[in-house]
Amino acid sequence: MSLRIGVDIGGTFTDLVLLDLATGRLTNAKVLTTPDDPSRGVLAGLAEVLARAGARAADVSQVIHGTTLVANAIIERKGVRVALVATAGFRDVLDMAREWRWDIYDLTLQLPAPLVPRSRAVEVIERLGPDGAVVTPFDDASAHAAATAIAGMDVEAAAICLLHSFRNPDHERRMAAILAEHCPGLAISLSCEISPTIGEYERASTTAANAYVQPVFRRYIAGLAEGMRGMGIGVDLLLMQSDGGTAHQNTALRMPIRLVQSGPAGGARAAALAGQLAGHADVLAFDMGGTTAKACLIPAGQPVRAPDFEVARIARFRRGSGLPLKVPAVDMIEIGAGGGSIARVNALGLIQVGPDSSSADPGPVCYGRGGTEPTVTDADLLLGYLDADNFLGGAMRLDRMAAEAALARFGARLGLTAVQAALGIHDTVNETMAQAAGIHTLEKGLRAQDFAIVAIGGAGPVHACAVAQRLGIGTVICPAGAGVASAFGFLAAPVSFEAARARVEPLATLDPAEVAAILAPLRAETLASIAEAGIDPATCTVEASAELRYSGQGHEVEAAIPADGATAGLRSAFEAAYLALYNRIEPGAAVEAVTWRVIARAPTPDLRLAGRSFAGGSVPPGSRPIWCATARAIVPAPVYDRYRLGPAERIAGPAIVEERESTAVIPHGATARTDAAGNLVITLEPAA
Amino acid sequence: MPRLDPVTIGLLWQRLTGLMDEVAGAFVRTSFSAVVRENWDLACAMMDAEGRLFAQSSRSIPSFIGTMPRTLRAMLERIPAVRLVAGDVLISNDPWLGTGHLNDITLMRPIFRGGRLIAFVGGTFHCVDVGGAPRPDARDVFEEGMCIPVCRIVKGGAEDAEIVSFILENFREPAEAMGDIRALFAAFAVAERRLNHILDQERIDDPTGVVDEILARSEASMRAALAATPDGVAEDVLTADGFDAPLTIACRVDKRGGDISIDFTGTSPQIAHPVNAPFNFSWSYTAYAVKCAFDPAAPNNDGGLRPVMITAPEGCLVNPRRPAPVWGRHLSGHYLPFVVMGALAKLVPNRVVADAGAPAWNVYFRGMRPDGRRFVKMYFMSGGHGARAASDGPNVTSFPTNVANTPAEQFENDVPLLIAERRLLPGSGGAGRLRGGLGQRISFRNPGPAPVGFVIRHERVDHPPRGLLGGLPGAAGRDLVDGARIPAKTAMTLAPGSTVTFETPGGGGFGPPEERDPGAVAHDRAEGYTP
Repeated sequence: MSLRIGVDIGGTFTDLVLLDLATGRLTNAKVLTTPDDPSRGVLAGLAEVLARAGARAADVSQVIHGTTLVANAIIERKGVRVALVATAGFRDVLDMAREWRWDIYDLTLQLPAPLVPRSRAVEVIERLGPDGAVVTPFDDASAHAAATAIAGMDVEAAAICLLHSFRNPDHERRMAAILAEHCPGLAISLSCEISPTIGEYERASTTAANAYVQPVFRRYIAGLAEGMRGMGIGVDLLLMQSDGGTAHQNTALRMPIRLVQSGPAGGARAAALAGQLAGHADVLAFDMGGTTAKACLIPAGQPVRAPDFEVARIARFRRGSGLPLKVPAVDMIEIGAGGGSIARVNALGLIQVGPDSSSADPGPVCYGRGGTEPTVTDADLLLGYLDADNFLGGAMRLDRMAAEAALARFGARLGLTAVQAALGIHDTVNETMAQAAGIHTLEKGLRAQDFAIVAIGGAGPVHACAVAQRLGIGTVICPAGAGVASAFGFLAAPVSFEAARARVEPLATLDPAEVAAILAPLRAETLASIAEAGIDPATCTVEASAELRYSGQGHEVEAAIPADGATAGLRSAFEAAYLALYNRIEPGAAVEAVTWRVIARAPTPDLRLAGRSFAGGSVPPGSRPIWCATARAIVPAPVYDRYRLGPAERIAGPAIVEERESTAVIPHGATARTDAAGNLVITLEPAA
Repeated sequence: MPRLDPVTIGLLWQRLTGLMDEVAGAFVRTSFSAVVRENWDLACAMMDAEGRLFAQSSRSIPSFIGTMPRTLRAMLERIPAVRLVAGDVLISNDPWLGTGHLNDITLMRPIFRGGRLIAFVGGTFHCVDVGGAPRPDARDVFEEGMCIPVCRIVKGGAEDAEIVSFILENFREPAEAMGDIRALFAAFAVAERRLNHILDQERIDDPTGVVDEILARSEASMRAALAATPDGVAEDVLTADGFDAPLTIACRVDKRGGDISIDFTGTSPQIAHPVNAPFNFSWSYTAYAVKCAFDPAAPNNDGGLRPVMITAPEGCLVNPRRPAPVWGRHLSGHYLPFVVMGALAKLVPNRVVADAGAPAWNVYFRGMRPDGRRFVKMYFMSGGHGARAASDGPNVTSFPTNVANTPAEQFENDVPLLIAERRLLPGSGGAGRLRGGLGQRISFRNPGPAPVGFVIRHERVDHPPRGLLGGLPGAAGRDLVDGARIPAKTAMTLAPGSTVTFETPGGGGFGPPEERDPGAVAHDRAEGYTP
C-alpha cells in the first residue's frame, strides 16, 4: 500500500503520475481524454500507469484527482436544469446582477446569461434582517407552493439563496426540508453552506453554479469509483480543490464548485514543489500554454488564495464579463497570450497579440495546417527559439518558410523586417506578461524581485527568462516533466479544507469568547471534512483568520487571528497587512471584521524522489542561430539535450536546452545547471 | 526625439494604461464610501504637462474622463504650473470647472521628474454630501452645497489643515469624504513612483514625445473610422420631463470626412431648477457618444476626440451661466448621448443604440441611525438599456453612466431601511425587432422608529425612452409611496412603516416589432420578460 497516483484531465490528454513511496520512483503516463465520459480515459490511464510501473492495483494507497469537468460544464453550459428559490421580491437576483458594464465604450456589450433562467426562479415569503433576526417569519404555505412549482419544472437540482442567510441559516434549511419532501432525489444547494458570504448576487451565483454542476459531478464520480473498484483499487478518491488543497470525494460531492480551478491549483502545487526541491520557497508559477499565460504567486510554498473567482468570461481579460463565484481558489491570474495567440496590427498601427488564438487547428502558420496569421509560436520559431525539425521531440515538423513569409507580410505593414516583427511580437507578449504579473504582485503587497520563476507549460521556458529580466527576478526554474506538471503537483497537495462565514463585527466591542464562539462551528466543519478523508485531525494545522476593514470601507484585508483570540492582536495584524499593501494606515479609525475563516491542513506530503538517472554521458551540443537581445543580432548558440545534461554541467547563455515538451531559452549572461531533482535552474545576471 | 517605433510605443502605452488601473484599484480598495467602492462612481487619469489626457483607468465614469483634462487646464489658469512643487495636490468641485455639479470632487497631483513637471495624475469621485441643502427646488448653485475653489489641499506633501477644516465643518459625512480624499492622495503617490519607474526603465526623460505619438495614433484611428462612414447632416430633438414644463434638447450632427461637429442650438434656455448641465459635462457625454459609435475599441484619450467639435449656445440648458442650479445636471446631460444617437441613426443606423431608461435614477436617503449617528446615503437603480442593431438591450444596465448597484445585504448593514423588493418589470422593455432592456421595481421600507428623509429627481416619467428606427418606446418610470404616485422630483419624509417604490424606465426598442424573430417573441413570453 505505497503507491500514490495523481490524475489530471486536460482538454486533450489525461496525465497520470505514479509515485512509489517506498522507492521514490516516478512513472508518468499520458492517455487521450475521453470527453463524452472522462472516467473512461482516467481508468485507461490508471491501468496504463500501473502497467508501466509494474505495480498492482491493490497497492494503490491514494488517488488524487483534478478535473476541468466542473469548469467545463459551466463554460460549455452542460450542467443540469436548476431551479432557484429566493426571498420574496428577489427572484430576479441572478438576471439583474450588478447593473454595470464591463466595457464602457462597447454599445454591443453582452452580459453573461445566468445559469438559472428567470422562468425557473421562485420566491418564498420570509425575511431576515442584516443581523439575522426574523423580520418576516418563514411562510410554510408559500414554501410548499414554491416546492410544488419546482416539482413541475423537470429540474435535477435547486439552489436556495435567501437574504442574510449567512447570519441565520434557519429559513434556508426549512426551505430545503420542504423542497426535499416535494422533490425526492433533487440535489439541493444552500447558499448558507456553499458560500456564506455577504452580497446576494455573488452568493446566489455561486450557489446556482454548485447546483448546476452537482448532478453531473455525482454521476462522474460514481462511475469512476465503480471502475476503480472493478480494477481492484480499494481506496476512495481525493479531489484537488481550487484552493490548492485536496478533499475526500464526499466533501467534493457536496461542494463541487470548489473544484472549478482544480487543474491550475495542481499547477501551482507543482510549481511550489519544484521551487522547494530547488531550494526556493518563494516562487512565481508561470504557466504559458497554447492559448493563455497564467501566473500564481507562491510565497513560502503556499499559493496565494483569492476568496472569489470569475468563470466563463465573455472577454477573457475583462473583469466583470463572467459569472462570479465566491469560493476560495488559488489566485492564478491570466497575464497574457499563449503560443497560439494571433498577432495583429490594430487600428492604432500597433502590434496586438491575442486575445484570440489559432487553437490547435489550424494552429500557428508554421504548423502548416492552413493558419495564415502569425502567432507567438511563429515569432519564436523565426527567432531560433524553437527547432523546426525537432518540435515535440520531432513528432511534428514546423514550416519555417511559411512562418517567415507571414511575419514578413505582417512586418511590412509596420515598416519592419520579418525578424524585427517577430521580435516585436515576442517582446510585446513578454512585456504584457511581466506587467500583469508585476501589478498582481504589487496588489498583494509583495515584490517580484523576491521570487524565483517556475516555468511550466509548453511555451513557459521559452519566455520565462525574458519575463524574469523585466521583473528583476534572478532565478528561473524549469521543472522536469513540465508536461504532466499538474498531475505531479496533486501528489504534493495536502488534504485541507476551508470554512468561512460572513459576520460583520466591530473589533472594539468583541471579546475573545465571542471570537471563539464564531470560530467554533467553522473549526468543527473543517475538521469534519478532514476526518472524512481518513486523516487524524490531531495531525492538522488549523489556522484562523479574518477579513477586516476600517468601518465604512468595502474591501477587506486578511489577517491571522491570534491563538488567544485577542482583538488587540488582530487589529495590529490587520494594520501590518494594510500598511504592507497600501503604505499607510488610518490611526484611530474603527476596524471591523467581515468574514471569518478557518483552514485545517493535514501535513504536506513529504515527497522523497529517487535520484534522476541520466540517459547517458554528456554529448557535445548542437548549434543553431538565435536572436540575442544583448547583441541585438542573430548569433550562433549551442543547443543542449536536456535528457543528456550531466549533473555537474554548467551552461552559459546564450544557449538553448531542448526537451520533448518545451525549449528553455537561456539569455546572454545567464547560466544554467541541472539540480538533483532534475530541475533546470537558470541564474540570470543581476538587472542593470 | 526620434519618432518612436511601433513596438516601443505599444509597450509603453500598455504600461501606462496598466498603471492607471493600478491607481484606480488602490483608490477603490481603500475608499470609505459605498459610492466609490460599490458603485465605482469615479475615474483616474493621467495628463501630460500641457494637460492632455493620455491614459485612463478602464473602469471609469465616461463623463469624468471627458471633464478631467478640462478641469486641469482650468486649475492651471488659476494656479499656474510654475507655482506647483512636488507633493502638491490641487482640489476643486467647482461645477463649471469640474463635472457639472458640486458632488464630484477632482484632485490633481503634479508629477515631477528630475525637478521638472512632466505629468499630472488626476482623480474624480462622487461625494454623496457636500453640505448645503440640495433640493429639487434649489434656485441657484449656492443652495446646493459648498464650492471648493481651486486650491492646494496638500502643499509639498503636507495637508493644509485650514482647507481640510472647510470640508470637515461643511460636509455631513466628513469622515467618509476625507477618507476618500486621502485614499486618492495615497493612490497618487503610487502613480508618481510608478510613472517614474517606467520612464527610468525605458530611459525616457520627457514623456512628451510618447504622448504626442499616442495622441496622433488615436486621432488617426478616429479619423479613419469617421471617414469610413457616409457624410451628411442629421438632426434630432427630444423632450425631457423638466420641472414646470417640458424641456427641449435639440442637436445637429455634421459629419464630413474625418471630422464631426455637433451643435445644440435649439435646446431650451437654462432654468431656475437643478437640471442645468455645465458645458464640461455636456461636452463629455457628447464626445462619449461619438467615441462609442465610431471607434469603441481604441483606448480613449484626447487625441481620439480631436476630430470632434462640440458647441452649444451660452445660456442654454446644456451650457448654462453661473450661478444656475446644477445639482441634477445629469437630468439633461445624460440625454445627450441619446439625442446624438438619434441623429446618427440617420447616418449610421447599425452603430447606434435606442434610448436607455436614463438619465440615471437614484435616491438620497437622509436620517439618523438608531445609535444616533447621522447618515446620507445614495442608492443607484438602473433602467433598461436601449436595444441595439443586432441584439436586445440588456436588462437594468447603467447607461450612459456606469455605476454598479449596492447589494441589498450591504445596504441594509449600513442604513436602517429594508429593501422590500428588487425585481424586473415585465413588459417595460420597448418592443422592436430588437427589444429594449427591462427596467426594475425596487421598494424601500422604513422599519422605524424614526422617519427617514428622501430626495428624488427622476426623468422619463412623462416622456418614456424612445425607440429607434421603428422600435417602440420603453415603459415610463413611476415613483410611489405606499402605492400612491408621488412627484418625480421631490423631497419627502418616509414615515415609519411606509414604503417608497421606484419603477425605472425600460429601454427603447430597435426596428419594427413585427420584424421580431418569432422564437425571440416566444422566449420573452416563456421567461416572463413580456406579459
